Amino acid sequence: MSGTVQMEWHQTPGNQVDSHYCPSCLENMPSAEAKLKKNRCANCFDCPCCMHTLSTRATNIPAPLPDDPSKTTMKKAYYLACGFCRWTSRDVGMADKSVASGGWQEPDNPHTQRINKLIEYYQQLAQREKLERDRKKLARRRPYMPLAFSQHTIHVVEKYGLGTRLQRQRPGAPITSLAGLSLKEGEDQKEINIEPAQALDEVEPLPEDCYTRPINLPEVTSLRQRLLQPDFQPAGASQLHPKHKHLLIKRSLRCRKCEHNLSKPEFNPTSIKFKIQLVAVSYIPEVRIMSIPNLRFQKECQVLLTLTNPVENITHVTLVGCEEGDPEDINSTAKVMVPTKELVLAGKDAAADYDELAEPQDFQDDPDVVAFRKSNKIGFFIKVVPQREEDGDVTVSFKIRHDFRNLAAPIRPSEEGDAPTEAIWLTHHVELSLGPIIA
Amino acid sequence: TNSAKNAKIAAGAVVCVESEIRGEVTIGARTVVHPKARIIAEAGPIVIGEGNLIEEQALIINSYPENIAPDSEGVEPKTMTIGINNVFEVGCMSQALKIGDNNVIESKADLGRNMILTSGCIIGACCQVNTCEVIPENTVIFGSGCQRRVQTERPQPQTLQLDFLMKILPNYHHMKKTVKTTSAVTPAKN
Repeated sequence: MSGTVQMEWHQTPGNQVDSHYCPSCLENMPSAEAKLKKNRCANCFDCPCCMHTLSTRATNIPAPLPDDPSKTTMKKAYYLACGFCRWTSRDVGMADKSVASGGWQEPDNPHTQRINKLIEYYQQLAQREKLERDRKKLARRRPYMPLAFSQHTIHVVEKYGLGTRLQRQRPGAPITSLAGLSLKEGEDQKEINIEPAQALDEVEPLPEDCYTRPINLPEVTSLRQRLLQPDFQPAGASQLHPKHKHLLIKRSLRCRKCEHNLSKPEFNPTSIKFKIQLVAVSYIPEVRIMSIPNLRFQKECQVLLTLTNPVENITHVTLVGCEEGDPEDINSTAKVMVPTKELVLAGKDAAADYDELAEPQDFQDDPDVVAFRKSNKIGFFIKVVPQREEDGDVTVSFKIRHDFRNLAAPIRPSEEGDAPTEAIWLTHHVELSLGPIIA
Repeated sequence: TNSAKNAKIAAGAVVCVESEIRGEVTIGARTVVHPKARIIAEAGPIVIGEGNLIEEQALIINSYPENIAPDSEGVEPKTMTIGINNVFEVGCMSQALKIGDNNVIESKADLGRNMILTSGCIIGACCQVNTCEVIPENTVIFGSGCQRRVQTERPQPQTLQLDFLMKILPNYHHMKKTVKTTSAVTPAKN
């Protein structure tokens, strides 16, 4: 954190995908593999009826022995079943498999070939467009300067999922060098032609009993069930095949200004800890409500709040009420009087629980302001006068100003032997919701 | 409880003493009633068939409908019939007057009085069904919106579990007395 000291709550920090994992088998997958498998887990299935996870069950079925067909022996047969809606793979006619996992095939899409050809054609088209743009840009430059990748052309190529030229290895074609354009680049790939889609004049007629046949309601699929299988979109429940389970991702956050990593989770899907976790809660003193008396309209009440110091050095806190016309003060419905003196918070001492002989530090608290003090926490009073008689919670707001020392910064050698880190004063807006007025 | 006189427990049924059975209740053979299950026949007798599994805190109650006071005249007692191989899971409540065979009422489900279950029906966990209808065979009711679907095969009877319980429960609980069958010579087991 040697760069900016800035609290980032108004801007969303940059999101990045960190890792992919399956929510049911917790299998980790690198991003490239996930992309290849279309972000689906290879082992786990979702129930097509209620979208819960399917479990594999086994039954014993008699099967003829391979040596002696007349005798039968019990063999294990596996099928998929949903524990929630009791759907089984037998409902759609999928035969039981003899292996516990890996035997289940997704049905083939009859349009796969056409779709693949279309994708290839459009990838080639995107490649050509990119070349055109590069050519135009290079025409202005001197010929011996290296070809620079423009941001725009990279996006054009990414449009159809091709990836930049560098990353894409085509079998048999050499990786062309960056410097200089050659006409051969476009002609390396064979021309892909696609037939345009043909419109038909004749359409299959509707069945004759279309209007008279009674609807078998359990057989009709709901829209959600239908659209979760975009390849087939079956109208009948007997064609609902299970789909592989979607992968989930873990995100890492980055500061937009200085590109530092703010939050990086662990790679292991079973771990909820973080490798890097720079959250404001561990640096800013925390205000909590301890006790609220009965709030009365336009009567002064004393509310007990606590301030907890999350860092290990002593922190000085000053509270200031919000001024008139403060743009951050939109919700307050009561006047508040905060203590005017500076409050001192002791540092957080991890060993304080175990060390009974520790001498309590003497801070000379004003008993009108500070109610109690306990290791790194103090309790203090604020006076609240609710200004509105309406229903709803009484809300107060004020500003908290505290000193922050950046202990992660490199220590500069100092001649006088002072504390090497300087204090930065930060101000935050605090809003408290104190509950309803009791008449 | 003094209900021992009214409850007729067939030989071969395993009914724990800690279960509460009130009123005229007939329990068939090979039925297991767990401790803390409650079978209450207020507004009429209850007849339970064979091979049923009634788990803890399940409540099977033949009660008066809400708009009829218990002491009003002209109210005939209706018999509640429960077929064979049904499962009443933990904490469910059933007031349905007619339940067929091979049904499963999952945990914390709630059945109203006017329902009629045929066979192979599964009432999912926490589903409250209080309509006045006959549930067709092999229907599954599930989900917070009580969605329905039809399954292709009926749920399997819990024979393994029943056998296991009939062996193990008497080791840890006392059983209610079964009724002596008049034709058998052997004394009724306790």
